[in-house]
Amino acid sequence: MSSLLQLSPYAERRDKIFVKELQELTAHHLAGCREYARIWPNWRPSDNVASFPFLHVGTFKSIQFKTDAAGVKHQRVLKSSATSSGISSQILLDQRSVELQAQSSSAIIASFLGAERRPLVVLDSAGALRAGTEVSARIAAALTLKPLASDILFLLKDSADAKSGKWDQLLRLVEKNDSLLVYGFTYMLWTTWMRSDMPPEVSRALRGKRIQFVHSGGWKKLENERVRREEFDKSLTAGLDPDSRVIDFYGLVEQVGVVYPLCGAGYRHIPVWADAIVRDPWTLEVLESSDGQLQLINLLAWGAPYHNVLTEDVGRIIPGDCACGRKGKRFEFVGRIPKAEVRGCANV
Amino acid sequence: MCEHMIKFRGHHGVVVVALAFDLTEMLESWSHLRAAMLKSVPDAFSRDEWAYLVAFLDPANLRKPFQQSFGEQEETADCPALLAAPRGPIGLWLPNNVSLLGPLMLILVSLTGSKLRMKAGSRSLDLAGEFLEYARAHAPRGALRDYLSACAVHEVFGHEDPRTAEMAKQSSVRIVFGSDEAAAAIHYLPHPIDSVAITFSDRRSEAWIELERCNEAVLRDLIKVFAIYGQAGCTSPSRVILLDADQTTAMRIRDQIVELWPSVIRRRPAMNVVSDNVRAWQLARAAGWNSVLVSENKAVVSIGGYDLQTFPSLMEMRIIPTHKAEARAHLPENSQTIGHALSNSADPAWLRLFSGSNIARFVPLNTMHHLETVWDGQDFWAQLFRVVRVQA
Repeated sequence: MSSLLQLSPYAERRDKIFVKELQELTAHHLAGCREYARIWPNWRPSDNVASFPFLHVGTFKSIQFKTDAAGVKHQRVLKSSATSSGISSQILLDQRSVELQAQSSSAIIASFLGAERRPLVVLDSAGALRAGTEVSARIAAALTLKPLASDILFLLKDSADAKSGKWDQLLRLVEKNDSLLVYGFTYMLWTTWMRSDMPPEVSRALRGKRIQFVHSGGWKKLENERVRREEFDKSLTAGLDPDSRVIDFYGLVEQVGVVYPLCGAGYRHIPVWADAIVRDPWTLEVLESSDGQLQLINLLAWGAPYHNVLTEDVGRIIPGDCACGRKGKRFEFVGRIPKAEVRGCANV
Repeated sequence: MCEHMIKFRGHHGVVVVALAFDLTEMLESWSHLRAAMLKSVPDAFSRDEWAYLVAFLDPANLRKPFQQSFGEQEETADCPALLAAPRGPIGLWLPNNVSLLGPLMLILVSLTGSKLRMKAGSRSLDLAGEFLEYARAHAPRGALRDYLSACAVHEVFGHEDPRTAEMAKQSSVRIVFGSDEAAAAIHYLPHPIDSVAITFSDRRSEAWIELERCNEAVLRDLIKVFAIYGQAGCTSPSRVILLDADQTTAMRIRDQIVELWPSVIRRRPAMNVVSDNVRAWQLARAAGWNSVLVSENKAVVSIGGYDLQTFPSLMEMRIIPTHKAEARAHLPENSQTIGHALSNSADPAWLRLFSGSNIARFVPLNTMHHLETVWDGQDFWAQLFRVVRVQA
């Protein structure tokens, strides 16, 4: 249990406490996870966050890491959505971490959306919840918002079909409530809400309502369709209450529990129980303020060593105070590492 | 109509090869194009790829297919024993990630004069199409340009496209690069009963190096050969077998490779490649390999044994110290090339060792990638010709 979780997520940083707790967490994983210990056999405790053993995000696609220790009760497996490789990351969840992660995400989301409870509309199907011992990234991201939900409606009958909306149920929900929370993967939000066959009576009922749209998953597909962020935000909130907002949050299944909503000034803030560093991809040296490979760290993961992950994303640490008023460290998400074609003659 | 009858003397006696073009003119045209290629590298090609194509177009190299299949060219009045004529239209299927094999096959097929229809993968840039366009634009007027304009076609379409079946139906020779499944699907399509199927499917190669040959020059060759395609090339050493080395010696050699690497491969890899190398390094270590990253994360060099799990990676060189018999026992079913650095590679014991294995080539380490007409266990270029027995 991190003592830092008792603080406001964007309070002044307590880096000494963070490092001390990270040492404890790292030692726990080195003692309980054979693969992690094999990768980092010579690590010695340090005060420098950058020196702590990390795992490349791609390793979770090949190995289901597991840390065995007293008190760790493993539960379900969290799977990322299919990427271009067609292989999902697998994160083994445990009871203790799930509780910490829920506490973390609630505090972060509340900082951006307020603590008021309101109906949550998820642009997915309820069937996606019933996938046995596995949880998809889409569902996990939606459930991050559960603490703020008075009720949950899974809008789609078929998660793969943006036109399978249960519009009658949405209409009833809208008629009874002035405020709604709507979550979807970025592309799903666009295709389901803006492009689908939403009946005119639902569109009429939504007018003047306060809706907070939350989306994650990235812009790649929308960029292909030449949809810009400004157009996306403006289209979604057209005709709604002026307090309606669109919040884009960045997160990875390999960092479940810590999401990075985009603040009003355009940055991602790091809660006190997490940290981020940026590395030169060629040397792995830490970059203070230039673009590099983003590494995300948190104190929430006890069942497997996904607490310290080198991502395949490019970011930049932003010095100084943010105009949005949040304290602590922040970064700018620049994009994914560009992919280049592999040529050869064998099947790799 | 084949107007040019060229005589060769080989192990069958005199062979007359009937061609529809003047071979000397065709070779000169390729030489002319080669000279133009020296001036600049088109964007689609890496410098290494372009340099390899230039080397491949050496006139002496282009004569080799005739020499190897039919013998030495000779003006003779002796009666021929065989008449060889091109079989006819050739269909060439290229997969998505294929590198130079497309352009190389175009060059080799041009030497037969047969019509060539190339089908490239629909998901990636294809070098065969790029090279065909370049060659059409830069070839001198004459046999080569006529061939490229009238007889060579490059198309991009998916597996389900009806043109796939059309190609199979119309080809006298089907040349397929790709997975076993893709090749089987193509050969299953209706095709002429007397047509020939040539398949180059997924294969794996190894470098076998004896400890006493582990000098700097050999290690530099090894790095060069590996770094071109990493684990993505069927002729690239997916494993480096260090013969008669123990773990300690292997570690010393690994460290030497790691130290040499930056001076052999100077270019900085793309960001996605170096990131993937960090991933590969961690996965290898997690599986029990003793792995290290090369400076600037250019590659991963790992030492381990046959029992250790491997994970897909592009630039991880896997070294296994072992002895001959064990290395032979662990040769994969789909072996392609063994690139050797041995104290006596001519020792008949090596051939005895490999008899009964599936290896297709046993060649010096630094020639592992050199495409020849004997490939994957067959003299495929000779099969582009129909042979008639002649007796006076």
